[in-house]
Amino acid sequence: MAEFALPKNSKIQQGKRYPAKPGAKNVREFRVYRWNPEDGANPRIDTYEVDLATCGPMVLDALIKIKNEIDPTLTFRRSCREGICGSCAMNIDGTNTLACTKAIEDCSKGEVPIYPLPHMSVVKDLVPDMTHFYAQYASIKPWLRTQSAAPPKERLQSKEDRAKLDGLYECILCACCSTSCPSYWWNGDRYLGPAILLQAYRWIVDSRDEDTGTRLDELEDPFRLYRCHTIMNCTRTCPKGLNPAKAIAEIKKLMIERRA
Amino acid sequence: MSQFDRFRQPIKNARGLGSAKDGVHHFIVQRVTAVALLFLSIYLIVFVVGLIGADYASARAAVAQPCNAVLLIAFLIASIWHGELGLQVIIEDYVHTPWLALTSRLVIKFVCVLVALASILAVVRIALGA
Amino acid sequence: MSAYKIQEHEYDMVVVGAGGSGLRATFGLAAKGLKTVCITKVFPTRSHTVAAQGGISAALGNMGEDDWRYHYYDTIKGSDWLGDQDAIEYMCKEAPAAIIELEHYGVPFSRTEDGKIYQRPFGGMTTKYGEGPAAQRTCAAADRTGHAMLHTLYQQSLAHDARFMIEYFALDLIWDEEGVCRGVLALDMAEGTLHLFRGHGVVLATGGYGRAYFSATSAHTCTGDGGGLVLRSGLALQDMEFVQFHPTGIYGAGCLITEGVRGEGGILRNSSGERFMERYAPHYKDLASRDVVSRSMTIEIREGRGVGEDKDHILLDLTHLGPEVIHEKLPGIAESARIFANVDVTKQPIPVLPTVHYNMGGIPTNYHGEVVQKVGENPDQVVQGLYAIGEAACVSVHGANRLGSNSLLDLVVFGRAVANRCAETIKSGSAHKVLPPSACDKALANLDKLRNAKGSSPTAEIRLNMQRTMQSDAAVFRTSKTLKEGCDKMATIFSSFEDVKVSDRSLVWNSDLIETYELQNLLYNAVATITSAEQRKESRGAHAHEDFPDRDDANWQKHTLVKVDEKGKAGFDFRPVHMYTLSDDVEVIPPKKRVY
Repeated sequence: MAEFALPKNSKIQQGKRYPAKPGAKNVREFRVYRWNPEDGANPRIDTYEVDLATCGPMVLDALIKIKNEIDPTLTFRRSCREGICGSCAMNIDGTNTLACTKAIEDCSKGEVPIYPLPHMSVVKDLVPDMTHFYAQYASIKPWLRTQSAAPPKERLQSKEDRAKLDGLYECILCACCSTSCPSYWWNGDRYLGPAILLQAYRWIVDSRDEDTGTRLDELEDPFRLYRCHTIMNCTRTCPKGLNPAKAIAEIKKLMIERRA
Repeated sequence: MSQFDRFRQPIKNARGLGSAKDGVHHFIVQRVTAVALLFLSIYLIVFVVGLIGADYASARAAVAQPCNAVLLIAFLIASIWHGELGLQVIIEDYVHTPWLALTSRLVIKFVCVLVALASILAVVRIALGA
Repeated sequence: MSAYKIQEHEYDMVVVGAGGSGLRATFGLAAKGLKTVCITKVFPTRSHTVAAQGGISAALGNMGEDDWRYHYYDTIKGSDWLGDQDAIEYMCKEAPAAIIELEHYGVPFSRTEDGKIYQRPFGGMTTKYGEGPAAQRTCAAADRTGHAMLHTLYQQSLAHDARFMIEYFALDLIWDEEGVCRGVLALDMAEGTLHLFRGHGVVLATGGYGRAYFSATSAHTCTGDGGGLVLRSGLALQDMEFVQFHPTGIYGAGCLITEGVRGEGGILRNSSGERFMERYAPHYKDLASRDVVSRSMTIEIREGRGVGEDKDHILLDLTHLGPEVIHEKLPGIAESARIFANVDVTKQPIPVLPTVHYNMGGIPTNYHGEVVQKVGENPDQVVQGLYAIGEAACVSVHGANRLGSNSLLDLVVFGRAVANRCAETIKSGSAHKVLPPSACDKALANLDKLRNAKGSSPTAEIRLNMQRTMQSDAAVFRTSKTLKEGCDKMATIFSSFEDVKVSDRSLVWNSDLIETYELQNLLYNAVATITSAEQRKESRGAHAHEDFPDRDDANWQKHTLVKVDEKGKAGFDFRPVHMYTLSDDVEVIPPKKRVY
């Protein structure tokens, strides 16, 4: 049954404040969600004052500065720092995005709130458990499936057919979109979510793939596909400017087309 | 997704019970009834507005006209069907206890069918001058 | 050391790293029926292969005449005759088949009008043995080729049901008394538990160590873990002095702007708007090889023709290409330039600077991916049970300077080669040798030391010292003086690691501890790099020594082998360059003057 109150141990408490060094001129506050599974304590919000005069322009720069100079226990994923690996996806200033491409000066408020991706179970601090998301990706069998024998050279593809993959293959699996989707929050166990459906569509429209029917069969399900209610949070939040909502709409269109 | 047993393979959870190979019918009917309701609602508004100030007998007579009776029955079917599909979505979205979801869907289905039968019968009776 | 509980897992093969080469090896081994596990500290699609942009080279000839022999010649010339010619022959000959294989896996390559894979020009890629026009040899998926490839390789791994241990960090290699590599000890970051992965072979595919420098195009995770594991095991690395500076890293941020920009017609300009590459490389201009372009840019800046307030960078102009070409061929760099340099590339040039990008050096291997060491008089003694591929390895196909788009090729060709080799030499399911009880002691002692480190220098502070030293003293141009100073400073910094301070004492996702391990690996790599540079008294490829400005084939056409002991002391030896080929299809290319 529905629970209307949060369990006791999930209430977020006010944590520590780390003031900037005296003499810092351009100070900005970062309010960061902290939770360590080992200490048995509730999650808390720690407040870090960072001198932007000695910090890079992006939110990730600030997080790294905090980890390097203020609090080495702060835990988050990061890798490429140029928006292509998808590691540092988190909820910054109320929006799911990549810390490495989100400029500090684009954050609206004086203090910048930073939380892990919403509605995922948290491993520690800003690190969410992505296991189920990755398993859902594997479940759509995201690879080229063909029946015809492989030719000795490349499979030919027209420029027009290749252009259909633009806006799809660029997905970096950061999960910003899926974790911004209310349908994924409520039914993430069964609903594939925008990221995975975008990936599914990437293979459905690939002119080289010969298993389109099976792919559509596998998606035709009240939960896997039809939990999408065109809320469009996915498209609004995608840090790569992709449009998962449109990809889902295209899948729904094909579902009808093959019946008509 | 901490609700999953940690000893299971993640792919087991992701694949779940497999695809129901269903859903597109729901999707189509929901949209078809929506389009029908768009027109039928306009008709209904015009029909009801036209009856403002009319007495009971003339209202009955208007309903009894074959053309009106057919369109009214069409409206009743479309709206109740559409409503039932919508309620189904709400249950799928928010009710996560399997027995409760199934029971509420059954109840809704029964109620909708009964309401549909009763209201259609009412129009038919008027139309046939009972 | 019994305080630590270790779970043991038995496999036929253990792969460390899940970038391009690690993935290709993993599913290649799985497909051959070997029970394989891949240990990776990041989820596979987060690996740095994802950031490769321009493309992958192969003489397909889709866009004009080409021949793999031309590719072979270009690679040798690019390597400044330090590459092993047998390995280069193998790579270039295998290249077309490797690309076709990738296409069949589903890589979304850009296309030509007749539906074939699109190929673009790249630096140092020529036709007719350097006599003809620039070759269009680099197969591209817009400017996101690495991303497209890495995702496809991961998808193939899923198709082959390969087994992954994700967010496991490799602590140390485990050896038996006979010096055979028997497995890897790893830390499960999510739980903080220790796991010993036993294998008949261990493949190191751990990538480069760009983060030894302050400004690098490399990801934060490029920390040379494989090199660290090997050096800590007492083996030698090869050609560590050769660090490639990519000509076009974004000024300030250091993010990569692909050479493909120049391949599509982009031009480098100095403060007077001059296309200065015409003076340095009259024939191929902006498409000379990377070491040449980086040096030319550095000279321009040094002679006061840099742009900006401090005259400290160069402009990359692509405004003349037109929005359509940029949208179709270079959408990714348009996005990067907008985010990181606040530049609209259709209207403004991009501020760029040579930035550390790739390590030609690494773990010495033969063209099968087997790690080799010089033992006695034998320079090619295979180390049993240990393999290395990708940027972590030094096959050596890149010699003293890698050509752009040859690295992605290196990944798939040698990832596949190692799988084929192991399928021939390793029998699936054969029994694992019982290890001596002390096999993990050294690794555990190191873990214990770092976990409880209570010194006075935080990890980040030591790392910054190292990065600044490497940046200033092992740069594009080097002198005896800077190198000597750099060696001394690095020795001090290496010793300061004894006094490292780890603040996080937790077990779950202790990134402070992981970063400290990574720093340890980086320090070993950094010392190997700067000391190797100091001892090489010539200029060759990426190693530009101002006190020895010429290439000296008589004394220095040889691979440097470097070992670094626990105190940070480096020792050197040498291996001859393979000046022979595998077949009669090509001839050995003798050294000659390198002009573009």
